[in-house]
Amino acid sequence: MEPNLNRRDLIKLLSVATFGSTLQLPAAEPGAPLFFTKDEFAMLDKLTDFIIPTDDHSPGAHAAGVAPYIDRTVAEAFLSEDKDSWRKGLTAIDKLSDTMHGQPFLQTTHDQQISLLRKISAQEQHPETEPEKFFTQLKETTAFAYYTSSIGIHQEMNYKGNVVLEQFVGYDADAAANGMPPWSPDK
Amino acid sequence: MLLQFPITNNSEVDLKTTYDAVVVGSGAAGGMAAHVLTSHGLKVLLLEAGKYQDTSKILHSMEWPYDHPRRGKIPPDYHPLSAREYTFRQSPYAQNSPYKKVTSYVEQWGGSDYSKTLVVDEKQNPYTGTRYAWVRSRVVGGKTNIWGRLALRLSDFDFKAKDHDGYGENWPISYADIAPYYDKVDLYLGVSGFPENLPHLPDGKFMRPLKLNYASLHLRHTLKDMNRCLTPYRAGVATDQLKHNKYRAHCYGRGACERHVGGCDIHAAFDSTNGLIRPALDTGNLTLRPNSTVYEVTVDKDTGKATGVSFLDSETRKSYQVKAKAVLLAASTLESARLLLLSKSSLYPNGIGNSSGHVGHNFCEHVMGPSVAGFMPNLVGKSRTLDDGRPGGFYVPRFRNLTTRQGDFIRGYGFEGGAGCGMTPGTAYTTPGFGEEYKKKVRDYAGATIEMGAFGEVLARYENQVEIDPNVKDAWGIPVLRFNYRFGENEKKMCEDMAKTAREMFEAAKFEITSVSDKALPEGWSIHEMGTSRMGNDPKTSVVNQFQQCHDVKNLLVVDGSTHVNASCQNPTWTIMALCWRSCDHLADQLKKGEI
Repeated sequence: MEPNLNRRDLIKLLSVATFGSTLQLPAAEPGAPLFFTKDEFAMLDKLTDFIIPTDDHSPGAHAAGVAPYIDRTVAEAFLSEDKDSWRKGLTAIDKLSDTMHGQPFLQTTHDQQISLLRKISAQEQHPETEPEKFFTQLKETTAFAYYTSSIGIHQEMNYKGNVVLEQFVGYDADAAANGMPPWSPDK
Repeated sequence: MLLQFPITNNSEVDLKTTYDAVVVGSGAAGGMAAHVLTSHGLKVLLLEAGKYQDTSKILHSMEWPYDHPRRGKIPPDYHPLSAREYTFRQSPYAQNSPYKKVTSYVEQWGGSDYSKTLVVDEKQNPYTGTRYAWVRSRVVGGKTNIWGRLALRLSDFDFKAKDHDGYGENWPISYADIAPYYDKVDLYLGVSGFPENLPHLPDGKFMRPLKLNYASLHLRHTLKDMNRCLTPYRAGVATDQLKHNKYRAHCYGRGACERHVGGCDIHAAFDSTNGLIRPALDTGNLTLRPNSTVYEVTVDKDTGKATGVSFLDSETRKSYQVKAKAVLLAASTLESARLLLLSKSSLYPNGIGNSSGHVGHNFCEHVMGPSVAGFMPNLVGKSRTLDDGRPGGFYVPRFRNLTTRQGDFIRGYGFEGGAGCGMTPGTAYTTPGFGEEYKKKVRDYAGATIEMGAFGEVLARYENQVEIDPNVKDAWGIPVLRFNYRFGENEKKMCEDMAKTAREMFEAAKFEITSVSDKALPEGWSIHEMGTSRMGNDPKTSVVNQFQQCHDVKNLLVVDGSTHVNASCQNPTWTIMALCWRSCDHLADQLKKGEI
């Protein structure tokens, strides 16, 4: 019996662990949301992609599947109020859009949509109105879903970890080149 | 290979034997007791209320969030309590909850799906009284399955604290008594650290230290000028291979320690199961019985000695008795106190070992909450570095009230901190706005962030206590604990000072500060409860002697954090194990000489 875990064993082991998950959720068919109506889903997709859009660095929330993720989690939410808050929130956005621009959100122009988002995000630390509160909820969920997605972790953040290392990372010669004081804990 | 050593949940245990010792609880203390006593050739029965769960298989430390259907979050019918709920709800907190399972706050963190079976269901395990965020883990290995890994020593600033400020009691031991046992724990389990030669935070027998990243290193240099120290996280993690333990790997810097609430699926981080219990089972002297909820220490009416324990099979609820020459309680500070108080008899009407009336009292811990967060301006927008490829960030040891009195409070606090970007950016939740500008800011600032939070000594006070609530019972019909525990003035003033000094250090380092808090989190948050059966030389004011034997009942020992006289501000796990090792050496000697 091999007494110590060597690097190769570890990699073998971890590849098994990665595919070991037995959790099952209903798979979302593209275009067939589980909880939201088609229109609600389109609006959600648009809103999340406004929060984290595609830029010259990486694809945004739409490409990262943020709306399908939210749809899946809302569909399986345990308390009905956790489901209702999403539907009510989207309705509140449409209502505000109607007040501001005389049209539901999806029917307004790009600039009108941006001006609505500016309005509801102005007080995100202390939201008061229904649409403001919904923005805070939507942004937090969008951020979670985007930055835990493959696009978010690898393309947008260029995360370098979750790998097997022989040496710990930290101070090195590059740091010294950046004007950092030379101090090595490895002496 | 490493993972091919299943521990069975076999409950067939010979209950006719009189064991040399029965140990209640299999966490840091119980595992250590099993290790030390079996290594002396003694026959030991280890009882654990929870099941055996193989963390090698359940933690999935390197699974990417997007490969999990809920991105690592627990199922929707599970509910982790929030800080707010502990404040606005009346305990028992899970009472009338519609959810299938309610857990303590730790399951609010990311990756909680992997650890959801390692913490207790609050519905089955209620408690009453004042606000307390009590985190419990009923599983082989106890809370070491998810612990924070900071492995610190106490010093005579703690053991002889009364000599410094006149408050409370000194411990009946000094650093010199326990230092050899800290060394043994270091060498047997592995601890990573960098020697700093501080009298108040003694160095250990360190393995390869962690490295500091840019911002942490910069803060280290700033603090040096302020006569303060920042040292790499002293992690109870085998950063080099332990030659004597085939169940543990060394750390591979995967940065996985905290992603799934806690735990290490290759056991580079110490956990009691793989660090202590499995090697003890290999001696042939240990019998492990999971699913054993102990509810009473049994007594011989003639001699007054403990004869063993009574327990329920946690699944069948069938009651059993087992006999032993010595009984060691290692069920955690609060559960051990509960057991002593539950063990009432005509000989011990206030609970066994409690002639002093001190059992459950002098309950102390660490206060948490005050913190500072910010960023290092010259790192903003720099290309990504790997910042979490090691099992911890940094630690700022205590600097208050050491040689001179500072502030309007006594005792001290330290800071745990970290810098740089993990797998997901914290800046995503703190950056205002939306759109390209938001996205760029999250990206640019993620690697520049640095933050630290304080852990402060809560004074041991007689009036802070737990007692049995006869009116409320847990799922096994056992009366629960009622808390009567609050932070006091000293903690309040200490929290203000924590925020003040945190700000001052970040300002000195020329970090841009984004937030400072002086608010304490709910009582219990640190998961460092101590002191309910404190040790001492005087049987009138303490429960156990310096070898953790009850003054009243010499063959009954309490070997967990219960016996700590004060909380210090340094994390307790390493001290729990060093003390337990010392006491078990002493017990083994006494058993061999027939003195027990």
